[in-house]
Amino acid sequence: MIQQATPKQRKKNSKPAEIVRPRSGLQLPKQVRQLQRQAPLYALQGVTELSARLKQATGKDVIDLNRVMNFVQFLYKQRDLMRRGADYEVDDFGFDPQWTESFIDVFMVLYRDYWRVETTGIENVPAHGRALLVSNHAGVLPWDGTMIKTAVFAEHPHPRHVRALVASLFLGMPVMSWFLRRTGQTVGHPDDTRRLLERDELVLVFPEGVRGTGKNFKDRYRLRRFGRGGFVGTAIRSRAPIIPVSVVGSEEIYPMVADVAPLARFLGMPYFPLTPFWPWLGPLGMIPLPSKWRIQFHAPIHVEDNPPEAADDQNLVMAVADEVRDTIQQGIYDNLKLRRGVFL
Amino acid sequence: MTSPPSPRRVLLTGVSNPLGAEVALRLAPHVPYLFGCDVHDPISALEQMDFVHADVRHAAIGKLVRQLQIDTVVHLAVMVDSPSDQRSIHETDVIGTMNVLVGCSGPSSRVRRLIVKSSQAVYGAGPTDPSFFSEEIGSVERPGSSGVTRDLYEMEQLIGEFALREESCQVSVLRLGFRVSEDTTLARYLSLPIVPTFAGFDPRLQLLHEDDAAEVIVRAVLGDHPGVFNVAAHGVVLLSQAIAIMGGSAAPVLPPYGRWAARMALRALARLEVQAYLADVIAYGSVMDCSRLEAAFGWKPAHSSRAVMDSLARGREIEVIEAPSPPQEYELQVYLQRRRREARNGHRIAPALKAHK
Repeated sequence: MIQQATPKQRKKNSKPAEIVRPRSGLQLPKQVRQLQRQAPLYALQGVTELSARLKQATGKDVIDLNRVMNFVQFLYKQRDLMRRGADYEVDDFGFDPQWTESFIDVFMVLYRDYWRVETTGIENVPAHGRALLVSNHAGVLPWDGTMIKTAVFAEHPHPRHVRALVASLFLGMPVMSWFLRRTGQTVGHPDDTRRLLERDELVLVFPEGVRGTGKNFKDRYRLRRFGRGGFVGTAIRSRAPIIPVSVVGSEEIYPMVADVAPLARFLGMPYFPLTPFWPWLGPLGMIPLPSKWRIQFHAPIHVEDNPPEAADDQNLVMAVADEVRDTIQQGIYDNLKLRRGVFL
Repeated sequence: MTSPPSPRRVLLTGVSNPLGAEVALRLAPHVPYLFGCDVHDPISALEQMDFVHADVRHAAIGKLVRQLQIDTVVHLAVMVDSPSDQRSIHETDVIGTMNVLVGCSGPSSRVRRLIVKSSQAVYGAGPTDPSFFSEEIGSVERPGSSGVTRDLYEMEQLIGEFALREESCQVSVLRLGFRVSEDTTLARYLSLPIVPTFAGFDPRLQLLHEDDAAEVIVRAVLGDHPGVFNVAAHGVVLLSQAIAIMGGSAAPVLPPYGRWAARMALRALARLEVQAYLADVIAYGSVMDCSRLEAAFGWKPAHSSRAVMDSLARGREIEVIEAPSPPQEYELQVYLQRRRREARNGHRIAPALKAHK
């Protein structure tokens, strides 16, 4: 039945036409585009055949097809993310959760298979509300931060995003600044810590800073100075509990045998590491060693029970900072004992 | 300090730029006497406003304030995003403000309210900055600052000293966020078909809608809000998002180190004169904390940063004007198109038309 409608009704039911813009920019020739679409299928076929042949020849699964499929899925996910255009929201810090979660697969491979991380005490991380994670910092590049983030996201019953505070130096670096901001990190400024905690986020700080990452291999697992305990003051003011975190294994990923200070100064970096592989092997020297990792989340220290004025009490702040430091150091010793060997 | 009586005789400096014209239009129904001054002719005629040609760079502006017995000065003749050279920007911002302040000071002065337009540019931008600028940060000199950032800092210092000295005058400084109406440098940059960006950087941008900018100035004039306020839209857009909204594509070709090289490249590639502070913003991003504004004014900008970007993109959808026969008709068509676009943008309808209705 054709609906009778007065012009008024028709006007009421009408919707404004959507404006469709023609695709602009360069377009590849049709054959190339066709090949682009089919290439992944051909590649997959090839890999399947290869894996079957290898299995026939050796009698073992040399290529794990599940892994391959996971990888392909990751690539397709990345492509979809690239095609989002402007249709996504970031929070005021520039954090894009969707984009961050797409990388979790990559970090899970590192977490589970490469460093075989064993995480204990994850129940100490609250499922809701603010908390300040305080960890030791080691390894020339801050891989420990990514592993703590992965641990909380993968192991916690309520997956949460940890927001780490990084040195402003990294936010001035090309690619780094873009990746760090996008995945929820922000600059290590007391203001930022406070704002994140006020939004009930899980914030990760490394009070050692570059003093921790840039230490010599012979000083491994010895905590550096914890600054002036600024993180304790911020936690008290924001009424957030402090959760000490001990990470074992990060020290061995890049055994730094020397620091070329003049070159570091020239390049504007805090240190220029020399390891058995870097810079002798070029980019290959940047591959971290597969040490065995353990991460332990300790019981929270409830500094939020103190009144906010206590943040100015230097005695209390230093006492709490020392307590946190001792907990982390003790946790490191305990976990070192539990570890059978550096690479086991 | 008791709050000053409601404004009666208001002087608007810099009334010939689009923001000044909009403010004049909105203020006119609320104040009995409205005066405007600028170097250029006003862009829209307003019956209720007396217009004077005056340059803030000359001391005559002080005489004007006294002779007209002004009680409220709205100082909008502050250049931030301007193609003028460094020297004339400095003269307008610092010397010009100084002249205005001279006019407002002294025991015989009748000025009870001073509203000054400043800009987010006063914060500059850099990797070591916190993610949000609160008002106190702008009151400390930024090391190594130059250009507009430094000029605005000096200007705000002068205003701060004035506010301390003249207790009878209530001073509000509004640090307006970056605006992207069609003629600002940032808008022209974002509207490029291929946008050169800094390689490996995707900063957060915070914007301010023209409407909200005019609204906040009017609210500052009619209310009692002494102090310094950040004014910007809530939320952020990433630079890549902004470019995608405008339908362009980003080309990460600018070198991340050495600003002068990047600025030269922009001048050569896009014929855009990008100020040093804006180049820093495009690299590192700049976001302000506007909680003080919300607390004091009980109002916040109506458009989010995302909405500001969307309205710029909508305004850019060009309609084709069909075979214009006589020149008058063509002009009419162009006028109507502009009006439609402004209406879609959420701007108020142009004053001339309203008067005829």
